[in-house]
Amino acid sequence: MPETPSESATALPRDALGLGLRPPYYPYLFEHWPEVGYFEILSENFLGPAAPPRERLARVSARYPVVLHGVGLNLLGHAPLDEAYLDALCRLADRVGASFVSDHLCWTRAQGVSHHDLLPVPYVPELIELAAERAHHVQRRLGRPFGLENLSSYVSLARSTMSEWEFYTAVIREAGCWSMLDLNNIYVSSQNHGFDPDEYLRAIDFARVLQVHLAGHTREPDGTLVDTHDHPVAEAVWALYARAWKLGGPFPTLLEWDERIPPMPVVLAELEKARAVRA
Amino acid sequence: MSAREMPTWLAELQAQLGAVLREPLDRSSGTLRAATERYPDDAVREVVDASNADARARLAVYNRQYWFRLFGVLQTVFPLTARLLGHWDFNDHAAQFLRAEAPRTWSLDDVPRGFERFLERSLAAHPAREALLEAAHIDALWRAVFLAPDCAPLRPRAEDAARLPELRLALAPSVAVLVERWPLLELKGRLGELRGESALALPARLATPRWYALVREDAGIRRLPLEPREGELLTLLQQHTVGEALAQLEARVPPDERVSLPASTQRWLARSVTAGFWADADPPEGAARQRAERLTGRRS
Repeated sequence: MPETPSESATALPRDALGLGLRPPYYPYLFEHWPEVGYFEILSENFLGPAAPPRERLARVSARYPVVLHGVGLNLLGHAPLDEAYLDALCRLADRVGASFVSDHLCWTRAQGVSHHDLLPVPYVPELIELAAERAHHVQRRLGRPFGLENLSSYVSLARSTMSEWEFYTAVIREAGCWSMLDLNNIYVSSQNHGFDPDEYLRAIDFARVLQVHLAGHTREPDGTLVDTHDHPVAEAVWALYARAWKLGGPFPTLLEWDERIPPMPVVLAELEKARAVRA
Repeated sequence: MSAREMPTWLAELQAQLGAVLREPLDRSSGTLRAATERYPDDAVREVVDASNADARARLAVYNRQYWFRLFGVLQTVFPLTARLLGHWDFNDHAAQFLRAEAPRTWSLDDVPRGFERFLERSLAAHPAREALLEAAHIDALWRAVFLAPDCAPLRPRAEDAARLPELRLALAPSVAVLVERWPLLELKGRLGELRGESALALPARLATPRWYALVREDAGIRRLPLEPREGELLTLLQQHTVGEALAQLEARVPPDERVSLPASTQRWLARSVTAGFWADADPPEGAARQRAERLTGRRS
């Protein structure tokens, strides 16, 4: 598909370490202004008119690079893309000078109902071009690199005729967009669906990786892994990160922690582990 | 953008899976359990069994996530109501609400829209209905004040004084006036210390109602105690012109209070202006509508 975006995707140093910005960090952040390579915000938390989130974001973006990560695009929903949502996303990206924006290769809404979850589609060739066309449109609207994140998933759909990584990489290639590669998601899905996470990694074009996500997960009693973002990064995921770095590093690396969030210094220490792992 | 549409089979699949996600959790065992036996066979056939869990068990992960995420949103927005009911009962009301009003937008901020009004019906037979609705109203107002856009405060000039009686003031979206009949604002302020999910005892009803203004400031939301007549005046000012509001207040007060009323109203009006209670003219575009929607749960 036409027109690769400018290389501003590399506006962040390729070895940058970033953190997903969450409200519990604000008191510590605004008092200590710790050294963090960049922050990633959840776009939807800042799209509304509410003043407090806007003011806090303005303070953060005055000191740190900020990138956007969304969960509401509904790229693979049956309904057309929500252009009003995209308008708001463009305004937000402009406001903070985001070097890139990302969302997920998934659907979230059906029949007018928003499920507020990131749901997989069958991995079939028929959907590649449709997904790529939409992702390309989003990137063009944004006027900046747009990254698609691979999902963690709990179901394999019977209609799939190809692997997740074949589908994921094909969409990115066709769209001319970028990869927002979540290594915890690869690990979670590999355990849930019984594939080799290294095979997934070998399929990735690391030159098109905007950033890598790390996060913690939870093991259910039946052995299913759930992408809960409420624990430190698992050792197996750190090991996968080390192999990904060797295979395709450097790339910006971001830690997400969304539930049972410890004090910010603890989260920063977890992020710092990345340096040791990739050394 | 191309008008090409996704295939019809995808819409059907997403409808099937969406229905599974929204399948109500079963409460009969005393815990919230995914009722996998109720999942439609057509939807289950779309999912491959895994080595450690069958298709129904895997779909249940999404089913539970849907409900617990939304329960979490409602508990966060209505923390006082949730603790007075206890999370178990609160989640029951929340589930009924979400079945009637499934989320429609990408914004989690929209999920609670209409919940306060829903509780008016769903708490109809509850012995503490009046107090619980007051708690829900406080929670809703608190949220509305927090989510309000910034708005320039009204700063009247000397020459505005003559036409003040004809003006109708608009409360700034970041301010709310409320009256409580139970000491619920104080309880709301202590919820951080009262961790847990069980129902808290309802505090005793106040001998006389208390009025407050909720005012959003840089450090958070401030509870500003109001004199009862001041609270009444601020409420009347939101409904009538300044002149009508003052007249209605005067008509309400007993004769012995009327003597001091002009001085009091001047003091209250001055304080409300100084504290930035009033928006300059109308609130910014959309703000008044959004505020009304948040408070009433209705979309205009």
